[in-house]
Amino acid sequence: MNKILGLLPVLVLSLIMISCGGSDDPDRTPVRDRVTILGAGATFPAPLITAMADDYRDITNRRVTVNYQSIGSGGGIRQFMEQTVMFGMSEAFLSEEVMTNIENSTGGRAFNLPITLADVVPTYNLPGIGKGLVFSGELLVDIFLGKITRWDDASIAALNPGVNLPRTNITVVHRSDGSGTTNVFTSYLSRVSDEWRNQVGFATSVNWPTGIGGNGNEGVAGAVINTPGAIGYNSFTYALLNNMSYGSVINSSGNIIEPSFEATTEASNIELPDDTRILFTNTPAEFGYPIAGFAWMLVYENLDQNNAIQTRGEAEELIRFLIWSILDGQELAEALGFARIPAAAIEKNIQMIRQMKWQGQEIGLELLQSQNLL
Amino acid sequence: MRRRRIHDKIIEILLVIATIAVLLPLIIIIFHVIVEGVSALNYEFFTEELGSPSRAIQGRPTGLVHTILGTIVVDMLALAIAVPIGIGAGMMLSEYPEHMLNPTLRIMNDTLNGMPAILKGLFAFVLIVKPMGTFSGLAGGVALSFVMLPIIARATESALLSIPWTIREAGLALGIPRWRVVISAVMPAAKTGLATGLLLAFARAAGEAAPLLFTSFGNNYLPDRWFGFIFNPVDTLPQRLYSLAISPYSEWHSMGWAAAIVLLVMVILAFAFARFVTRGKVQLK
Repeated sequence: MNKILGLLPVLVLSLIMISCGGSDDPDRTPVRDRVTILGAGATFPAPLITAMADDYRDITNRRVTVNYQSIGSGGGIRQFMEQTVMFGMSEAFLSEEVMTNIENSTGGRAFNLPITLADVVPTYNLPGIGKGLVFSGELLVDIFLGKITRWDDASIAALNPGVNLPRTNITVVHRSDGSGTTNVFTSYLSRVSDEWRNQVGFATSVNWPTGIGGNGNEGVAGAVINTPGAIGYNSFTYALLNNMSYGSVINSSGNIIEPSFEATTEASNIELPDDTRILFTNTPAEFGYPIAGFAWMLVYENLDQNNAIQTRGEAEELIRFLIWSILDGQELAEALGFARIPAAAIEKNIQMIRQMKWQGQEIGLELLQSQNLL
Repeated sequence: MRRRRIHDKIIEILLVIATIAVLLPLIIIIFHVIVEGVSALNYEFFTEELGSPSRAIQGRPTGLVHTILGTIVVDMLALAIAVPIGIGAGMMLSEYPEHMLNPTLRIMNDTLNGMPAILKGLFAFVLIVKPMGTFSGLAGGVALSFVMLPIIARATESALLSIPWTIREAGLALGIPRWRVVISAVMPAAKTGLATGLLLAFARAAGEAAPLLFTSFGNNYLPDRWFGFIFNPVDTLPQRLYSLAISPYSEWHSMGWAAAIVLLVMVILAFAFARFVTRGKVQLK
């Protein structure tokens, strides 16, 4: 009996060692040359980042493993500032205060690099009516303010001629947790309506004037799917992959925009500031989808100042991965339900990567030049 | 007489109903988890790394081998830390009741037990992650040990207290020192109670995701080196289960259910194992 007990830890340990060995494959990088890049943050872009990481690991023959864990945008910013991760990820750009703090403590800026786009669609459950119901910003404001309470309201009918709208009551569903999705959605409502801006405003969580709360994208989706007459908002990815009915939205140019990856990318194809810290909900782009925003990767300008990065080698691998993810990595987007970043954002990203340094040495510039990108 | 019998019968029925009411949710949960998750349980689930959602969507091999091993390592680390300290604290409470530290110890223990698990994670973050500069399995183990500690201490105390004082007196009468009496006479007699305490602590900690979020952090792959399980970010079942469940991909949803099955089986196996071990010892007596 005691013998068996004594053997157990040995058994487990040997199992672990066997599973980690795997050096029999000659193509694989030797263990001592392997590098792990640690990142954390927003939940929404996590599938895309992990997919990029997985491909990148194959491309580099396991030399570079990118470990990205979704802990939420707030957590991502926090861990980035605590310097426990090499890059953060957030659906909200760093505030002026955080930017100044980082500049004071590291002697360099924090960069916000757009890596993908977060698009939010109105989702609803009307038996017999599929996707494509048309909404305007004002209409969404009135529904989410609780002013319009029936689906056969004249203002909904006016935008949807020929649709047989039922006399069902509208049940508003919103997020109960803090969320980048809410931030994008309420930012849009604030831009189209002074009333919304003054009464509710925009943030990762707001005081909703009406409706029921659901935890996470899945919570809102669950409530909408199970409640006839419900309307909520979800990330486009989530609505698409879970077969929810979602609406089209009239943008600021008066065009009816059906949610699509192209329309989302188009929304961000505008004049961008050099640090890309911009909210472009209700975009001026003529055919852009109006409820969309960037998701940013957060990286220090002076990489040596980040305690999570130990060596110049690690810093270089991080930059190589950044370059790869804004160019080749974007190819993975659509299959996973994400929109690509526009050319304008790629250009700004390259300019930011160019300024990244290791102990004053311009390693960003060197790596970009070595790949003929400058 | 008849009235008494009817009363008796009614109480009996009520008790049966109460028992069913307690067991029913458990049975429903286990049944539901198995129905939802069994389709994702295959050979690759136990041999492959998770990688990314595209693997699952494109039908490429994907699994949770790193998560299962990570869970075992982190839970074992937590047990290794919590068992000696917890049993020591329990021993002090029951065997040295006159000690002046005991009232404080008892209050602290209860406070620790009632503290939200996420705070224990944050404490381990400050204690281990910040000085080490990175997330690690060790930090996860420390965080979980804070979950286990008060449960083990409490269970040890009550297990030891349930042993009649006469046993101690007999030992002391033979001239054996007090500590030796506790270890050689009281502890073996309380073995079943002690094992139950360890199991309760293990089962409770095995299901915790919150304290691991900022300590063991998570990983989609096996670490490059075997000691990476201790010094690098490690994946654990409760945390992975959550992130699989909130993802938008149905393939990952069923993997999440499968992860729940594995977690359930691990806890059940631990219970069975402990029953087996303690039963053997009791028969020896």
